[in-house]
Amino acid sequence: MEILFFSLFNGILYGLLLFMLSAGLTLIFGMMGVLNFAHASFFMLGAYFAYQISQFIGFWPALVIAPLVVGVAGALVERYGLRQVHKYGHVAELLFTFGIAFVIEELVQMVWGKAPVPYEIPQSMKFTALTWQGMNYSAYRVFMVLISVGIFAALYLFLKRTRVGLIIQAALSYPDVVGSLGHNVPRIFMLVFGFGTALAGIAGVLGGNVLGTEPAMALQLGTIVFVVIVVGGLGSLGGALIASIFIGLLTNMAVSFDIPFRGFFEALGVSPEAMGTGKDLIDMTSSGISPILPYLLLVLMLIFRPRGLFGQRDV
Amino acid sequence: MKLHKLVPGLMGLLLMVSIPFSAYAADPVRIGLIEPFSGPIAAIGLEILDNFEFAIERINSKGGVLGGRMLEVVALDNAMNAEKTTQQVKKAIDRGIRFISQGIGSNHALNIIKQLDKHNKRNPDKAVLYLNHSAVTTAFTNELCSFWHFRFDANVDMKVAGLATQIGRDPSIKKIYMINQNYAYGKSFQAVGRRMIKERTNAELVGDDLIVPFGKVLDFTPYVAKVKASGADTVLTGNWGPDLVRFVKATAEAGLDVQFYTIYGGLPTSVNGYGVNDGMAVKIKQITEMHENDAHWTDRDNFESDYLSKYERSWYGERGRYILDMFVKALEKAGTDDPKAVAYALEGMTHPGPNGELLMRAEDHQIQMAMVISTIDDKAPRKMIYAGKNVGVGWKTDGWISRSEISQPTTCKMKRPA
Amino acid sequence: MRLLLSKTGVWIAAAAVILLAPTLFQSGFALSVMGQMGVAIIFALAYNMLLGQGGMLSFGHAVYFGLAGYFSIHYLNLMGEGLVWYFPVSLLPLFGGVVGLFFGVLIGFVSTRRAGTTFAMISLGFSEMATALTLILVAFFNGEEGIQTDRWVGPEPFGITYGPDIQVYYLIGIWCFVAMVAMYALTKTPFGRMSNAVRDNPERAQFVGYNTQRVRWLAFSLSSFFAGLAGALHAINFEHVGFETVGLAQSGFVLFMVFIGGVRHYLGPILGAVLITLLTATLGDLTQAWFLYFGIFFVVMVVFAPGGLAGLIMLHEPVWKTDIRLAQRMILPYMGGLITALIAGFGLIGLIEMIYFVSHKLAGDTDVLLYGFATDVSSIYSWLIYGTIAATGIVLCRKSFPAVRGSWNSAMDDVRERFSA
Repeated sequence: MEILFFSLFNGILYGLLLFMLSAGLTLIFGMMGVLNFAHASFFMLGAYFAYQISQFIGFWPALVIAPLVVGVAGALVERYGLRQVHKYGHVAELLFTFGIAFVIEELVQMVWGKAPVPYEIPQSMKFTALTWQGMNYSAYRVFMVLISVGIFAALYLFLKRTRVGLIIQAALSYPDVVGSLGHNVPRIFMLVFGFGTALAGIAGVLGGNVLGTEPAMALQLGTIVFVVIVVGGLGSLGGALIASIFIGLLTNMAVSFDIPFRGFFEALGVSPEAMGTGKDLIDMTSSGISPILPYLLLVLMLIFRPRGLFGQRDV
Repeated sequence: MKLHKLVPGLMGLLLMVSIPFSAYAADPVRIGLIEPFSGPIAAIGLEILDNFEFAIERINSKGGVLGGRMLEVVALDNAMNAEKTTQQVKKAIDRGIRFISQGIGSNHALNIIKQLDKHNKRNPDKAVLYLNHSAVTTAFTNELCSFWHFRFDANVDMKVAGLATQIGRDPSIKKIYMINQNYAYGKSFQAVGRRMIKERTNAELVGDDLIVPFGKVLDFTPYVAKVKASGADTVLTGNWGPDLVRFVKATAEAGLDVQFYTIYGGLPTSVNGYGVNDGMAVKIKQITEMHENDAHWTDRDNFESDYLSKYERSWYGERGRYILDMFVKALEKAGTDDPKAVAYALEGMTHPGPNGELLMRAEDHQIQMAMVISTIDDKAPRKMIYAGKNVGVGWKTDGWISRSEISQPTTCKMKRPA
Repeated sequence: MRLLLSKTGVWIAAAAVILLAPTLFQSGFALSVMGQMGVAIIFALAYNMLLGQGGMLSFGHAVYFGLAGYFSIHYLNLMGEGLVWYFPVSLLPLFGGVVGLFFGVLIGFVSTRRAGTTFAMISLGFSEMATALTLILVAFFNGEEGIQTDRWVGPEPFGITYGPDIQVYYLIGIWCFVAMVAMYALTKTPFGRMSNAVRDNPERAQFVGYNTQRVRWLAFSLSSFFAGLAGALHAINFEHVGFETVGLAQSGFVLFMVFIGGVRHYLGPILGAVLITLLTATLGDLTQAWFLYFGIFFVVMVVFAPGGLAGLIMLHEPVWKTDIRLAQRMILPYMGGLITALIAGFGLIGLIEMIYFVSHKLAGDTDVLLYGFATDVSSIYSWLIYGTIAATGIVLCRKSFPAVRGSWNSAMDDVRERFSA
């Protein structure tokens, strides 16, 4: 029972980190219909900028400045790249962001080198804020959770309760009508893209020092954020939150409970000898496959419910 | 626009590919170094290249080899792709390079061993020798052993034996938790670890996990929780890269009172990754052939100071130095740069190493040497310098593991050419 | 068949290139790269059956390529030990194709039920799972070391042992030719047309009575067959299959090839495969920043030439079809465009190389070798010179490119005039 509560708790913590990572992505998709493959790359830029800025003026200014810089970079990418590609359709847009991810990774290596940079959690936030089952949780982790929840609340209120939010939503569904009402639709798109990448930047500032800041980090994170937004339902903020937490729980439980597969195969009447070269499969436990589970979930979700948990339309 | 720019370049490349390179094989003795020099983990490859170039510079300034011939290292980029390694070996052969060195990635090493076995059998007059500087899969000097392969680094079994020996000396260590990456290297670490803990320590193995490797695991909290629940006081891990970095960071954050025995925890890229404070918190330990504060390492010959002033980072490449020294010795002994003669000269060779005498065991071409275990220390007299910056920590010796304690038996049945 | 024959000249030329290439490039490295090109051509064409002809963007097609490689190499090894029936190495690619087909039919059944982004995301999911499994299931995939083999097994008909590289090159060459013809023929069958229809307008295709889902499934399965064929050849070429062959990077690579070559023309993937293979094999020796150039090249292509190289070439088809003399007026503006682009590229590459050098340089090192000249990066003049060249080039490009477009437009006008006259 203890272990259950414990992995529930950890799973939610990890899920909230995932949500922070993917909030910007689901926003951009929901607004613009663009699956931004470079999202994790903007996340990485956030981490590197934060590292650089915190070298000079400390972590707290970096928390504000780095996401702004990333947002501006994102807006520029939209203005001078993505907008030109828009007319060729979604596949071209996807390919464009695919290429941008490649370029950003190389630019990061060009500027900061190929080795990891020592971007650390600020000492002032390292004290233990919370102890649970003998495990300490630093103030920094609590702070991350608060920011993540804050992002969700702010986005939700912004989109549903403010005039600007409503215009943005309208611009997606009826760009012509919104345009003829005197709103500058391309400009709205640019701002949305910039805002979404700035969110990735925030996640980078906060997550970079937990996950390690190195050139390969975008590649490692690039696909998991897709799982979150697809499972949650494309464009659905609430869905992304639920999916993040669900994935957090799933991977945590798989490790904590560590169910061996042997029993399962024996129940099916399969003896390990009969499996031949597949015998590794029998000797495995659920913790060994926990990082694959999200992808399994993704595939199953797309097969049986392509619109995800809370999506308005199919992927 | 870019296309037009590429066309003339392509013409040049085509010409390059078509020119047979064997024409000017005579002058320098060339070593082809096949490593990732581009892509995400190029940092390590480039560092090794620097180490080789630095050591070669010294040899050349003293008059070179074989009566005045120079040594030269030729960098061949494999971009961490095993097929590209195969191609670079072919390129090296085309260019008449007779000696190849490589070490990052056992898959690449295995490709080279197999490829050279075939090539040398089919073209005995153009044989190529492989000097393995860091690929540690034990099988290369056991069932997969080859006459054309020499390993200058301790293999996984030897390193784990060393770590276990040190653990056995510390009576305060009662419970050990092992975490390894679920692929060939991690699994062999796990297998030897289980055996060695039983043979060489009085501690109990309280946990033994394999994780999906290469940065796939983002959240290590559940693993940390398992370590905590097991009551372990020591973690023994072969992890490297993000799999090590994230684990260290998560353990430090949870405030667990454990120490980490590692193979790769002391690499500059690892230290940079987890950061000094977290590294100190979990008392990272490493096993190496030497470290800068190693009292046994006396033959420094201004190596580290010269290296530091040139590259603005600490000398971590003593291996590069003794590989090349032994290589030169073998060339002189053979009196020729014929790879077969050099290989025979290397067999059974002894050489003064950083921690006592090195022996290239003739049976399996596995170097035999003493090693040292050290702990991360922010009060160490010599601190690591990386990219021009003082990292703030150095290494403090915990204990030395003698050559006989490190040494492991071999199952190699080598076929030697006549 | 008639359509095939009408292109006889082209096919003969292709066969001649394949046949004669080794007389020009003889080194072991060159043979290996050319073999790799042949494999890449098959794989790229197979991929384009999905992307170009079927409109399905896949991020995981290397799964079929790689799995076929693994199965083929296991078969080779078992054959070497005499545990399975002898199967000529020359025909092993067929076996690989069947393996690809098997997995294609299986996974295609679930993944092709929808097109578009759903399909892309499912392919991504399968790709990630397959990559992880190659590392976890050690007994079959042998982890990161992959599987080694010796292709020199069994009887030696006509002295063909596949020991020497040249024999393997011709094996790949022949299969490449066969696959090229076969896939071209496929595009001309009713199935090929149906595939296009489902790509362009699925609703209408369905309305006319086609089961769009089944058409996509068929296209996917056939494409997996050819991907598997390429995978087996890849395994024979390198005598090794590793986990990279299944992964996302490999899938991304074939996407690069096909897109840069051009998705809307049969020639496109072939162009892309040859170019990209050549660049990856050789650029790494010239510059460490080659990944960056690669990425920039790709982005520029997506923005300015979404039709790829083949698309750019085919823009000019009406000119040579109508009257090649129309091209005379285009030569000057095109030369201008080329030269200004070269100037801009020259300056930009210089700048990038200098930045790269500065961020990776050693203490006291100041000189980088650029275009054969030692360039002092500590001097402001080096930066000024390359900066000026780049800026000049870009300014000139803004003048010369409209001229290129103008000359093309006027040539097109002429073409139209002649047609209406």
